[in-house]
Amino acid sequence: MRQTIRALGWIIAILWICTLLLPITVAFSLIKLFESKAVGVQEPTVSFSNGNFSMSAPFHINNTGFYDLSDIGISIQIGRKNKTISTSSRLLPNVPAGTMVNSSCDISVSLEEMVSKDRELLINDTDLNVSVSPRFRVAYIIAFGFSMSFAVQWGAPFYNLTISDVAYDNVSQKFSMWVSFDNHAVYPVNGSLLVMLYNDIGEHIGSATQDVNVPSETPFQTFFELTIDRLKMTRNGVVRLYFGGTQILEKEWELS
Amino acid sequence: MSEIEEEKTFRKLIKRIAKATLATAIVGAFWLFLWILLSVFAVFPEYLTFFAILAWATLFFTFAIRVSEDTIYKYCFIIARAFFLIIYLAYATNCGILTLNFMDFQLTVEFVPLLALMIAINLLAIARGLLQAIEFVSQSPKD
Repeated sequence: MRQTIRALGWIIAILWICTLLLPITVAFSLIKLFESKAVGVQEPTVSFSNGNFSMSAPFHINNTGFYDLSDIGISIQIGRKNKTISTSSRLLPNVPAGTMVNSSCDISVSLEEMVSKDRELLINDTDLNVSVSPRFRVAYIIAFGFSMSFAVQWGAPFYNLTISDVAYDNVSQKFSMWVSFDNHAVYPVNGSLLVMLYNDIGEHIGSATQDVNVPSETPFQTFFELTIDRLKMTRNGVVRLYFGGTQILEKEWELS
Repeated sequence: MSEIEEEKTFRKLIKRIAKATLATAIVGAFWLFLWILLSVFAVFPEYLTFFAILAWATLFFTFAIRVSEDTIYKYCFIIARAFFLIIYLAYATNCGILTLNFMDFQLTVEFVPLLALMIAINLLAIARGLLQAIEFVSQSPKD
């Protein structure tokens, strides 16, 4: 029994030493990792084309520490006024000690999804709440997670979207109108703009499409002309504007 | 009991208390060093109270175990210390997940496997304490 007690005593002592040494060496490993600026994020690229808003931020992890890094992941949540607009999470492969991994953090939201969650984002500038949560595990035992929230100014791609100077020429049977907006976003707006016209009983009476390419921080104005059957024409109705297949505006029109 | 025997017992007790105090002082110095280190670097300021309770409990058990040397109570205290550490470590560390909040920044440290290892060590300590107690009882002269 005495030998068993002695063996247990040794096992307990060795395990306590290992248990206490591990966090200390993990801390030193992390200090080494962050001192050498082993984690770097490049400038993100933002694009908006064919109804898809996407952002990509390339980054690298050079594991200069003593232990392997595992369960590396990053989650990004974008919201406005306690309403989540988009969430994205990415899991990276393990980074063994002394190796380097290049990857990128991508987030993509379709215009349709964005409109369904918050239509205001298309036509009004606002502040978005961005929550970034990176996490990783050191030595497969101790996991660290960070969560930071910050506000990002959102520039609406169709700021002040207006339909004006609605007119109908009975002789040529042409319906005309002006569509204008300012692109306040940091990316160009590329895609097709579709106008669909309805009369006062909700009957579809005409449509027209235009490809647009509006650079960032640029006002845009275009003229639409639609041929309308005189018999279906009424004094008022509804006009719907689509971009990349997603409805971005619905407005009543009335001839003066 | 004769006067000489009484004096002998009293001296023994004083000696034991002195030894226990010295051992407690050494352990106390170690905890004080850790306390200063944690206070200087302001690591986990929210958890300093938990740390203080752990330090005081460890000091109490060190003193109690030393004072009760050569009695069955020593093993009772060893087992009680292991039990306390299991429950307290799990409670104070929120089952191995510590969270710190600074304004809009939150840091989470998860060390469940490490906590499991600490619990396993304390379970081994309980087993060792029980074996020691059994051995002590089996060797004690019967009244």
